[in-house]
Amino acid sequence: MEPLSRQEEAADGADPELSSALLPRIGDIAHAGMDEETSAWSVFDISGARGLIVRIAAGEVPGDWKRALLDAVRVVDVDDNALRALGPIGGRRRMIGAPVTAYWPAESWPALAELILAELADIPGAARTRKIISSVFNDATVNISTDPAHPDLVFVSVGGGVTDKRSLWSLRASEERYRTLIHHLPWALVLVDSTAMLPIFDALRAAGVTDVGAYLDANPDLPFESRAIVRVTDANRNAVELFGAGSADRLVGPVDYLFAASPDTAKRVITAHFDGRRNLTEIMKLRTFDGQLRDVQLSITYPTPPERLDVTLLMFEDVTERLQTEVQLRQLQEEYARAARIATLGELASSIAHEVNQPLAAIAMNAETSLRWLARDEPNLAKVEQLTKRIADSARHASEIVQRIRGMAGRHVPNRTALDLNRVVEEALMFVCHDIEARGIQLGVKLDIALPRVLGDRVQLQQVVVNLLVNSLQAMAGRPQSQIEITTGRDGFGGVRLSVRDNGPGIAAGDLHRVFEGFFTTKQDGMGIGLAVCQSILAAHGGGISAANQAQGGALFQVTLPPISG
Amino acid sequence: MSRPVVIAIVDDDLAVREALCELLEVEGMAALGFERAVAFLDRAGEFDCVISDVRMPGMDGLELQRRLRACGSAIPMIFVTSLADETACARALRDGATAWFAKPVANVALLGALRVALGSTGRGA
Repeated sequence: MEPLSRQEEAADGADPELSSALLPRIGDIAHAGMDEETSAWSVFDISGARGLIVRIAAGEVPGDWKRALLDAVRVVDVDDNALRALGPIGGRRRMIGAPVTAYWPAESWPALAELILAELADIPGAARTRKIISSVFNDATVNISTDPAHPDLVFVSVGGGVTDKRSLWSLRASEERYRTLIHHLPWALVLVDSTAMLPIFDALRAAGVTDVGAYLDANPDLPFESRAIVRVTDANRNAVELFGAGSADRLVGPVDYLFAASPDTAKRVITAHFDGRRNLTEIMKLRTFDGQLRDVQLSITYPTPPERLDVTLLMFEDVTERLQTEVQLRQLQEEYARAARIATLGELASSIAHEVNQPLAAIAMNAETSLRWLARDEPNLAKVEQLTKRIADSARHASEIVQRIRGMAGRHVPNRTALDLNRVVEEALMFVCHDIEARGIQLGVKLDIALPRVLGDRVQLQQVVVNLLVNSLQAMAGRPQSQIEITTGRDGFGGVRLSVRDNGPGIAAGDLHRVFEGFFTTKQDGMGIGLAVCQSILAAHGGGISAANQAQGGALFQVTLPPISG
Repeated sequence: MSRPVVIAIVDDDLAVREALCELLEVEGMAALGFERAVAFLDRAGEFDCVISDVRMPGMDGLELQRRLRACGSAIPMIFVTSLADETACARALRDGATAWFAKPVANVALLGALRVALGSTGRGA
């Protein structure tokens, strides 16, 4: 047997006082059938109990002598195993000098007291080794011995399998805390014993299965089988409520009811377990005992090794209302954005009318001209062919314009695709360029042709660009030498930046922080939703928008969009 | 022998310019398109009439009219525009424009106005 002192050196936070003369003595004690891994050593000072022992030996036995004896016996030292098994938080220092009853498990006080008495009173025939019932050790055996060199000391060893390395007290307290915590957590919690899966996993691994997901696809029965053998062992009151079960008893049993409405989730749960993942989180549908279908966020914590001893924790958070609210909120936001788009289109009506009218005018004239060529005595078919092609081209052009307007005005389900922001700018310009020209504003367009693509909704981003341009051109109404410049480029963080600057009056300093607020406007007939919508669109894209005044005058709006990740 | 009638078309939209040129061609007139008013202004003396858009990048149709009058040009002007602006229309007609048409314009109407314009210069088509 290794001397204990070596163990002490290795132990974290070893107390230097333990290099006392006692330790080699402890280490020298030999006990058949016990090794150091499964035995815990303690040294007790019995001097305070000597009077009581003498009285008992003389036949004067107080009623509660065992408790009284152990109260009088003090802890001198313990080894690490005893410290871990019995010790309080705060360690060895708090144990030394304390009565044995402060730490020794009460269920084996009688046995310990009788052993101490037998040894010290030297009762003939009395055992020095006893089996005890213990919550800390399996199959525990306590041995007691003394050393003539230290007449006030007894050496106690407890052997057997340590059931838990944590101290008895902190174990009890933590189990109590755990139970209370589980019971009162604001989420529905279900404890599952999934150990039945382990032999199945072992068999699958032995058969060379590494991709259990693919295996489950090929063997769709396994999830159903495992749902029958893996069992719920406990559930908290929120789980009972969520499932509409009435009592926890109805939740205890095979787990199949958990995944009745989400069979694919069961597959992913098994796969993650097989893959040794620590946890899994996903949104799933849950069928309650009273037949409702709820949206829940499932969070699973798988057992830590050795998992045969542990439970799998399933936490369910009812997100039905949250998801519904989110859907409603998204719908509202989209309605709001659409209202803003329609308002903007209204402001651009004459510009848009001009845009549509141009190809229509060309079509009408070309058609009439064709008829004139055909009406001749010798119809000029070559001309008619040429004009008809132009009619087709103009019709296509008109149709594209109408599509774009419809895109801006119609109901729109946001749809993110990889976009070239330059193209978005060009499309947006279609809506405003005539207004810009009509107002005699000089428009500068500087597009970085090497711009990385961004993930975005075409219509929404067009809306942002149109909005910024309309704001600029309206701000410059009636000002001579008006200029708007729109530029695209990289933002220095892998994403892209779009800037719209003008040489208008800029933004009043006091309004700078309010321009993105809903219903804030400085326009006489403005609703004040344009920039607020721009901001929410960019927030939804993971980007941003900022407003500033340029040093040389005029406003500068900058939009940033993140790069496409992954 | 008198030279053929030559009409200038000023419109920034290519399709419209081409369509007007074709229409005049089938009617036996020569036409030349200009994308920018300023380009036409330099050569205004070469034409018998100008058909112009109103809204255009750079110099717009009304400004073109003002410049022409300012430099003493009496070239007849016909406006063909999408601009629904009564004030602008009234101003153009007051300042001597022959006609103001909203796009799309019927060929008959445009040709009629053209005949009036050319008649006023004694170059009836």
